[in-house]
Amino acid sequence: MKFLRGNNLAFLIFFVFSILVPIIFPLFLNDYWIKLYSEILIWSLLAASVNILFGYLGLLSFGQALYFGFGMYGVAIGVAKFGLGLWSSFLLGILVSVSMATVAGSVAVRLTWHYFAIITVVFSLIFYFVALSWKPITGGDDGLPFLPPDIINIFDFKISLTNPTAQYYFIIFFVLLCYFLILKLLNSPLGKTFIAIKENNLKSELIGINTYKIKLIGFIFAGFVAGVAGCLFAFYGRYASASYMFYHVSGEAVVWSIIGGVGSFLGPVIGTGLLIMVREELSNFWDHYLLLVGVVVVLLVIFAPQGLAGLYNRLLKKIFNKNNNA
Amino acid sequence: MDTLIVLALNGLIWGLIIALIALGLSIIFGLLDVINIAHGDFFMLGSVFAWFIIKFTGNFWLAIFIVPIIGFGLGALCEILIIRPIKNAAALSIVATFGLSIFLQESVRATYGAAPKRLMTPINDTFLLFGTEYEFYRLFAAFFAILIISIFFLFLHKTKIGIWMRAVRFNPEIATAMGIPTKKIYSFTFALGFALAAQGGVIAAPITTVDFQSGIDILPFCFMAVIIGGLGNLEGTVAAALILSTFEGVVATFGDPTVARISSLVLMCIILILRPHGIFSGAKS
Repeated sequence: MKFLRGNNLAFLIFFVFSILVPIIFPLFLNDYWIKLYSEILIWSLLAASVNILFGYLGLLSFGQALYFGFGMYGVAIGVAKFGLGLWSSFLLGILVSVSMATVAGSVAVRLTWHYFAIITVVFSLIFYFVALSWKPITGGDDGLPFLPPDIINIFDFKISLTNPTAQYYFIIFFVLLCYFLILKLLNSPLGKTFIAIKENNLKSELIGINTYKIKLIGFIFAGFVAGVAGCLFAFYGRYASASYMFYHVSGEAVVWSIIGGVGSFLGPVIGTGLLIMVREELSNFWDHYLLLVGVVVVLLVIFAPQGLAGLYNRLLKKIFNKNNNA
Repeated sequence: MDTLIVLALNGLIWGLIIALIALGLSIIFGLLDVINIAHGDFFMLGSVFAWFIIKFTGNFWLAIFIVPIIGFGLGALCEILIIRPIKNAAALSIVATFGLSIFLQESVRATYGAAPKRLMTPINDTFLLFGTEYEFYRLFAAFFAILIISIFFLFLHKTKIGIWMRAVRFNPEIATAMGIPTKKIYSFTFALGFALAAQGGVIAAPITTVDFQSGIDILPFCFMAVIIGGLGNLEGTVAAALILSTFEGVVATFGDPTVARISSLVLMCIILILRPHGIFSGAKS
């Protein structure tokens, strides 16, 4: 049972919970919450891609929305302009975001800390403005809507995204797959190398690690995760818009992951979930709910600098220490 | 050719305002190691305060003197309430100032309103510049920005507090050991950064529109000026802001503003790749 510990256990609980959501939630919540849960999970992938770079490689990226946007546009342009089906447009979205991450990463990971943060912003801003002004292809600020293609369409057997349950499991499947890949990565020697580079770049170089190559792999993987999130969000919202590529979206992802607990496996899910739920709940009855969001974010950083995951760990330690003393 | 000169001049003047704001960002960044996401909103607050003061008193000149003082006070408050508890940790400062940024934007939206408004130019005169009517106010804005920037540099190099600030930046531990009140210097620096951004906001208000989101657009540009000028190199920050903004003005002659924005971003990219530590190396890191 050794493998059922820490991150593996957390993943298992997360997995089972996500599968059961359409069964549990209707008992005491309405269908809207199931939809919201899948949206939270999509955004949490964007935060997870920040977490891979910042939490495990020590690279703070302010441009992950770029790959999110590329995934989104890959799907939307694939469906609306090329008339592709669901799977081929999905593939297109992943392909373009991964290629973009490869190009941007090969330049960006040469730089460190502040310079890295700035160049990722610059990249995302360039393509944000391109998407904004290239109206015939991207639809600019209005966005590019499309009709969702079928998931499966063989003979008379059809499953479409218009079926809420099908859409839910479609999204959950890929989100969980991504988290599974992240978990596999973290448990692998490559994941340990990531942490070595984060702890000390120079020492890692001295023991023979090709830090440039490892960082590039990490960057491309993070781009892939953000790209999948973008594709899923395009299917979820059935449109793509340039506004999701703005640096403010990347900034939100950074905040979500730090609030959740940077460097913890499920931290991004917790952080994203909390902030999106606060937003959804409060916005119903208070127009200026963002005032409270701002205060909550500041207070969390002051009183829980390790994020919510860190707070939980601290609490756990306290309880166990008490038990030991007793 | 005439439009080129006019637009380049516009770019240069805008660059001076950006330089003013970026200087505030740079000292906060260099001294406190705080990545201040809310800095654009300090600029926005400056122009909103100016709008309110002009609405109630009708006097622009009053605004130009009072707003930086309000900014200074608010800056000190923010430092004590938000920055000090997180002990200048760079990663946390991003989140804390992001929260501050949300809070500031939303409080402006709640009081001032979401619709952008225009501020009347305090100097209505225009003069003929290469066949176009050029607003006299823009020239005033440029001179005022130069004045403030010069005072700032004089302050930093000639006064006791200025020298303390540079000492704390150089080595906070030794500075504390030498009897410099490091904590007060931190608060003072953050407040000064806020005041500079607010001053930029007042000067810029009659040129652009007053909008609760104007800070979001200006922030990346300021950061780029700081980084490209070389971290901690304040003269470099000013130069980078001027170069980038003038370049954007020149390109805007040939294409639309978005193309100009894209090309200045590409220029920045190239600079960062070729000179990763800024165009003016010898940056005191």
